[in-house]
Amino acid sequence: MDASYLDLVMAQQEETFEDAEGGGGVWVVAESAGGEMAPVTLEAIGVARTLAESLGAYVYAALLGDGVRLLAETLYQAGVNGVRVADHQGLSPFSLEPHLGILVDLFAEEPPEVVLLGATEIGGALAPRLAQQLGGGLIEHATTVSLDPTGRTVEAAIPIYGGEYFEVVACPEARPQFLTIEPGAFAGPFLDEYRRGEPTMVEVEPSEPAVRVVGLAEGFRPPEVRLAEASLVVAVGRQAGDPAQVERLAEALKGRLAGDRGAWDAGLIEADQVVDVRGTVVSPDVYLAVGIRGDTFHRAAMEGAAFVVAIHPDREAPIFEKADLCVVAEPGEVVEALLTAIGSAD
Amino acid sequence: MRILVILRRVLDPAGIVAHRRLRRLFINREEYLIQPGDHSALEAALRIKDLGGAEVVVVSGQPEPDDDTVCRGLAMGADGAIYLSGEGFAGADDGVAARLLQAVVDRLGGADLVLVGMTTLDTAQAQLGPRLAGALGWPQIVGAWSVEIVDGRVRAVRRDGDDYVVVETDLPAVVTVPGRALEPRYPDGARLVNVYRGEGGMGEAVLRWDVADLLHPEGLVPLLENRGRDFPPERELGVRVEGTTEEVAQAVAEALRARLRGA
Ligand SMILES: Cc1cc2nc3c(=O)[nH]c(=O)nc-3n(C[C@H](O)[C@H](O)[C@H](O)COP(=O)(O)OP(=O)(O)OC[C@H]3O[C@@H](n4cnc5c(N)ncnc54)[C@H](O)[C@@H]3O)c2cc1C
Ligand SMILES: Nc1ncnc2c1ncn2[C@@H]1O[C@H](COP(=O)(O)O)[C@@H](O)[C@H]1O
Repeated sequence: MDASYLDLVMAQQEETFEDAEGGGGVWVVAESAGGEMAPVTLEAIGVARTLAESLGAYVYAALLGDGVRLLAETLYQAGVNGVRVADHQGLSPFSLEPHLGILVDLFAEEPPEVVLLGATEIGGALAPRLAQQLGGGLIEHATTVSLDPTGRTVEAAIPIYGGEYFEVVACPEARPQFLTIEPGAFAGPFLDEYRRGEPTMVEVEPSEPAVRVVGLAEGFRPPEVRLAEASLVVAVGRQAGDPAQVERLAEALKGRLAGDRGAWDAGLIEADQVVDVRGTVVSPDVYLAVGIRGDTFHRAAMEGAAFVVAIHPDREAPIFEKADLCVVAEPGEVVEALLTAIGSAD
Repeated sequence: MRILVILRRVLDPAGIVAHRRLRRLFINREEYLIQPGDHSALEAALRIKDLGGAEVVVVSGQPEPDDDTVCRGLAMGADGAIYLSGEGFAGADDGVAARLLQAVVDRLGGADLVLVGMTTLDTAQAQLGPRLAGALGWPQIVGAWSVEIVDGRVRAVRRDGDDYVVVETDLPAVVTVPGRALEPRYPDGARLVNVYRGEGGMGEAVLRWDVADLLHPEGLVPLLENRGRDFPPERELGVRVEGTTEEVAQAVAEALRARLRGA
């Protein structure tokens, strides 16, 4: 079919909501960087649309920044019904007070029922201040969002101790209900390029930031992450083949090198690198066990890991009981091939 | 220079087990830590005191009598401690805590700097510092890796994307500190004994304030409500990766990439 014909037909059905009233809507505070919408903003719009559907409400986006007007197009394609744009050079780079002042004024004029932000540095600085100033409740780092049986209160799950379990929380009496959503926890919506709209420009005179950036912190290094808090651990055991190669793998993956008690006995690692209930207990996002059999104490100390890869020549090795990915092979060969596969072989 | 440091306690995660299959939480040892961010914030305050002198006051509170948290603060080197409790305190959320702390600042006749942890270890909420800054109408610095007082202003190192930048603001201000920022010092042995010794010990110096004297009852009503627990799905049995060494390495690399992207 002729694409221009399709364009014509769709243009007739194009929805525009430039005049939709903002009161009681579900709002998303948009975040952009380098001329692109932040993925978490699109994810938030997906969540907002689901909520708005059940609430019988419109979805709005507040888009603040310098030269951001054109990005409103993406917001309409993601499914918002209205966009309020504040475009001013005083709004980039981000600082709290200018953004806060504009959003407080906006929400005073069009009081939202729900406001979603990304759980990012910017969302984390803005959301509590907005909630405090407008008398709203705030739930940060939501990983699931739904409405309770009364149909107007948002319930959200937040991870406790980094996701050991979740607490379901709500702010039934508070309006607006503010939420920051965890980046990557929700699917982004389909961008429908036939959806269009005309954003409403907001006249602003941004206030002065209260915090001044003096300059780069030359030479500042944050303290090294302790093994117990590392998010990626590469652990070496006596069956690892070439320990130096495992160390290179840890470096290439930007992970922490560790090992089991056997590796320490064999002099492959230091005492403070031993993963064992009598040594260090770890709960990283990724645990890579190379040539570790996995005695009881070792397994108990690493079973909090979210994702475990085990490489060992013996298919009966107990470490495999705790592994998500089991590789029965000579660790030395696999590690060498792995260094090539991740592009770090020398 | 008066610096207020907020100390909150948190259940030591080493003493609890989240059982995925039974979908139950077992609290095997009920022991509390100082929230790591708050602990780090106290260290930041004590370093300012070491360098240029300051009066460091720790504030904490719980529904039931348990002032161990403030006592540990005193043992580390704080000059004074305030412990809040009383009727109507249970279930206080960050909004309530911000109002209470605003009242504490008023009753003390002001403060120059409030330091508090950036996030909580358990719930990962980062509201208290900003909410308090909003309530007091003070500037905020969120996530300070180091804190100094320079020419009567507060100067901090804060993350900015992949970089670290130096930022500055006027006093009074609220500054929040990540748990990893500063290694807290060990309590001084003599102070520790002194704090916990009953009569005449430093523990007696803790000011115990009733929350009812600080806020109207409606100010103590939390907005956040707990509605239950959820657990992650049980761990599935692992997948065996087969093939040539190269194929296996490719599959592992792919899985790692996918995991690290999601994180
Ligand atoms: C200065 C000050 C600051 C405060 N700041 C905050 C704050 O930032 N956030 C806040 O929520 N409250 C805060 N409070 C309020 C006070 O901490 C709460 O009253 C207390 O957290 C209420 O919890 P609880 O009654 O369950 O007490 P407790 O049972 O003693 O619980 C203490 C902690 O353990 C956690 N906990 C309890 N049971 C479990 C469990 N089964 N699994 C995992 N964790 C568990 C609670 O969430 C809480 O954090 C503050 C109070 C003061 C005075
Ligand atoms: N304190 C605990 N900590 C961790 N897991 C426990 C605890 N108590 C019981 N369990 C688990 O719960 C199962 C059933 O125990 P019970 O509820 O005591 O019959 C046990 O097999 C354990 O796996």
